[in-house]
Amino acid sequence: MIARDRMSKLASNLVLLAIGILFVLPLLWVLFASINRTAGLRVELPTHPTLQNFKAVLNTDTTYRPVFNGIVLCGGAALLTMVCAVLAAYPLSRFRTRFNRPFLLTVLFCTGLPITAVMVPVYGLFVQLNLVDTLGGTIMFMATAALPFAIWLTKTFMDGVPISLEEAAWVDGAGNMRALWAIVLPLMWPGIAVVLIFTFIGMWGNFFVPFMLLLSPERLPASVSIFTFFGQYGEPNYGQLAAYSLIYTTPVLLLYLLLSRKLGGAFALGGAIKG
Amino acid sequence: MTTTVAPTAAAAPTTGKRPRGAKLVRMLPLSPAIGLMLVFLAGPILYCVYAAFTNMALTGPGAANVKFVGLDNFRKAFGSGAFTNAIWLTLVFTLISAIIGQNTLGLGLALLMRKSTKVVRNFVGTAVIGAWVLPEVVAAYLLSAFFNDNGTLNVILHAVGLPGQDWLYGAPIIAVSLANIWRGTAFSMLVYSAALSEIPKEIEESAEMDGAGGWRRLAFVTVPMITRAIMTNLMLITLQTLSVFGLIYAMTRGGPGTKSQTLPLYMYEQAFSFSQIGYGTAIALVMLAIGAVFSLIYLRGLNSEAA
Amino acid sequence: MKSRKRFTVAAVASALLLAVSACSQGSTTKQPDAGSSQSAGPAHIKIAYQQWGPGVVMKNFLTGVKSEYEAAHPGSQVEIVPVVASENDYYTKIQLMMRSPNTAPDIVYEDTFLINSDITAGYLKPLDDYIKNWDQWSQFEDTAKGAAKGQDGKTYGVPDGTDTRALWYNKQIFQKAGLPADWQPKTWDDVLSAARTIKQKVPGVTPFNMYSGKPMGEGSAMQGFEMLLYGTKDTLYNYDQKKWVVGSQGFKDSLNFVKTVFTEGLAPSPKDALSPNMGSKVGTELLPQSKLAIDLDGSWIYGNWLKSGAKPWPQWSTVLGQTAMPTQDGSGKGKVSLSGGWTWAIPAKAKSPDAAWDFIKTLQTPQNAAKYATDGAQIAVRKDVASNAAYKSSSASTQFFTDLVSVTVYRPALPEYPKVSNEIITAMESVMTGQSSPDDAAKNYDQAVEGIVGGKDSTTTKSTGQ
Repeated sequence: MIARDRMSKLASNLVLLAIGILFVLPLLWVLFASINRTAGLRVELPTHPTLQNFKAVLNTDTTYRPVFNGIVLCGGAALLTMVCAVLAAYPLSRFRTRFNRPFLLTVLFCTGLPITAVMVPVYGLFVQLNLVDTLGGTIMFMATAALPFAIWLTKTFMDGVPISLEEAAWVDGAGNMRALWAIVLPLMWPGIAVVLIFTFIGMWGNFFVPFMLLLSPERLPASVSIFTFFGQYGEPNYGQLAAYSLIYTTPVLLLYLLLSRKLGGAFALGGAIKG
Repeated sequence: MTTTVAPTAAAAPTTGKRPRGAKLVRMLPLSPAIGLMLVFLAGPILYCVYAAFTNMALTGPGAANVKFVGLDNFRKAFGSGAFTNAIWLTLVFTLISAIIGQNTLGLGLALLMRKSTKVVRNFVGTAVIGAWVLPEVVAAYLLSAFFNDNGTLNVILHAVGLPGQDWLYGAPIIAVSLANIWRGTAFSMLVYSAALSEIPKEIEESAEMDGAGGWRRLAFVTVPMITRAIMTNLMLITLQTLSVFGLIYAMTRGGPGTKSQTLPLYMYEQAFSFSQIGYGTAIALVMLAIGAVFSLIYLRGLNSEAA
Repeated sequence: MKSRKRFTVAAVASALLLAVSACSQGSTTKQPDAGSSQSAGPAHIKIAYQQWGPGVVMKNFLTGVKSEYEAAHPGSQVEIVPVVASENDYYTKIQLMMRSPNTAPDIVYEDTFLINSDITAGYLKPLDDYIKNWDQWSQFEDTAKGAAKGQDGKTYGVPDGTDTRALWYNKQIFQKAGLPADWQPKTWDDVLSAARTIKQKVPGVTPFNMYSGKPMGEGSAMQGFEMLLYGTKDTLYNYDQKKWVVGSQGFKDSLNFVKTVFTEGLAPSPKDALSPNMGSKVGTELLPQSKLAIDLDGSWIYGNWLKSGAKPWPQWSTVLGQTAMPTQDGSGKGKVSLSGGWTWAIPAKAKSPDAAWDFIKTLQTPQNAAKYATDGAQIAVRKDVASNAAYKSSSASTQFFTDLVSVTVYRPALPEYPKVSNEIITAMESVMTGQSSPDDAAKNYDQAVEGIVGGKDSTTTKSTGQ
């Protein structure tokens, strides 16, 4: 039994490792290009590794301010999304009414509409509400755009938490919100983490929405300032682009590592699965 | 043991004992979400529906006076070879990259990760997630380098004695599909890992005691327990994949010719390169309909109690 | 135990969430006062322009003019809004901005290629009343003045520079092939025979490049195809009849030229030519590494090779020569060039159009005009700038490309042009990949153009002069 276990574990490790390598291979380009002053599109080990590219991009205008803006913008929007999604998912998951299904379907279908198509009326709306070039308005729109997916996903994970636990709490006289907070949420942290990361990444990489809704350069997030590296005739400075990409990717990776480690879910890196 | 917190059979359908409280009050937590969506989504979407029946444009004559044109935009779309080509490519792209690729690979990774050592898990997890979090245009650049005629992929294929080919030129839709698998698998992996973590260990262990082998256990115990997650995941990744734009645009511009011009690229070209907002939104509505058809199929699979 | 730990984590996480959301709240409440500065008096001028990535030439230039203007107009305030994006996205954004008086800038930077669409859309204000009292207007070349004229004959923009196109060739490769260092082709055949010689005598080198196909977009239509077409007796648009030209021999001949270079292997293989990165590959790899002998390209490409460029290459000015693209058989003016370039325009909904005009005048004082043309690697559209010594010596190729202004042609910048251009590219691509014969591709083009411009009544088979 134990020997078989060990064998299957070894096999799992090997297969996983092979897949992992396939995923790493394309990434090598960014790593190599970021330390190569004259990087091109070819994957090549730089002969004279240099930190020049990083030095060139690490300044307020190119990196610090846009990354900070991005964190405020996407962080704010992702939190707003999560709060609304968790609140909305609870009654949808717990109480069955005739309203649920049509509501969920409507919400779902709306997500099929490409955001680029909606931007023209959204801009008009923002002009009407005087929200153009405000972080608050942009946060609210980004949060709303992410809501349908977030509600669906959160509801699905919430469905996986048995209702019997809450019933005990209801008997104790705890209200719905208390039951949600004290019983349901702690049991579904892995799911919440997935939704949060998904939402945040979607926002972090979103170029079109902040680009259209914000005008002042001082407010633009990192996803927009990446175009700093594309020249007039399309020839990017690959080295700096790669260096910037690594910096740009860091907050999301950190968020992932933080959530996966702290929350200890099985999807996580540090999960104590073998207990 | 952290994963076994749920004491009763997890994934059990939520059966219906009701706590007290008026119906309306129970639904109250929905209000922030509904409020936001009414203000910021409902209006713009209705406006899009209206625009799809006009000749609206961002610039040129259609910007100065907007005219109602009835079904003209749709008629024009379905009569155009470029549009039907885009629909086919979108379906192929979605099938290969989402339904087959991301979904299967994501599930496989999630399953394997349960049985692997921490170091390997860390490494693979970070690599897969890294592919996901990279900015889209950068991902597109490095994937162009990867799929290039003398790029890394062909070097590997030649090394193991397989024929390579010029992916971006000879099989662009395959190349962008593979690229999208690379980029998007992380999401499925996370969803499945989270879902698997909700399966109590005892159930699988008892199946093992009964002598069920690995594959049988997977097919008859594990997968049925996460059907809900599978259907939801399929639905969400399908909807996402239907609207993938930046990756394809940066890798191939929809070319060569129109060999990788999926619907979002076609829409962008019409709506923004040619400024025909009316026609563009009509295409967007068609995309919406395609997404709806897919969703309905998955919802069938989710069975009636899910929603 | 575990579940208590989870609780703590949850509590910490939620506290964090609250903190961050409070912080983001804080920054949102700051918005109103930042926004209200937009309406601070009539002399507040907002300028929107497209900033290409790392290039700060325009930004520095505008900042300089801003302080000059603010010093001369006490109390005025100039706000510079760079839009860093691709051209499509830039246009979408400024068009949206111009639709509303709340967000319309006072000055926009408009590409001559698209300005007519915005004129037709009613986004821009005619400048004739301003221009008639402006002594500097007479300095502008007539062709450039035409570039910002609407179909109603009014002028809507002040051009600040242009670009021209010609053949760049590698003198070292030419020497190896036994071709003259001072190459002056007189006809298309001269170009082809030089390319053939190179193919024969200098293996491993791509003899000739012209941008073709979709990935290079407008670069294919303008730098590639139209450089051929406007060297024939035909054109794209008949200005006298106000109709688009279809079924012309010149169109077919141009496609035949494309076919020749690709089937004979004089050009890069179609798959290389159809890579979206072809533009940067030519500038940063093929030319600097002497892998390309002749390149039909723009006046600006040496920007790649400056110290600040993507691929510094100080030897470019000695290795590369420039020569004009000849007409098909050497007739007409004997050489051909196409021009684009940008103009300053005032949106119809601008809040302070008069102040905006004052600012445009400041942008175009002789000193400022010369400064921008020099720093921005522009080709001058003003006679006084063209003869300015600092400008003329700003690069080894400036004089050459400036001289082409006398023969240059602007595209028919009509609202339909972007769609027509797309059809040109489609025709070109089907020929270069061998999917269609030039005749079939031309036929498809004719049909497509009729569809775009509204039927046969809007097309003609007769080309006339510009």
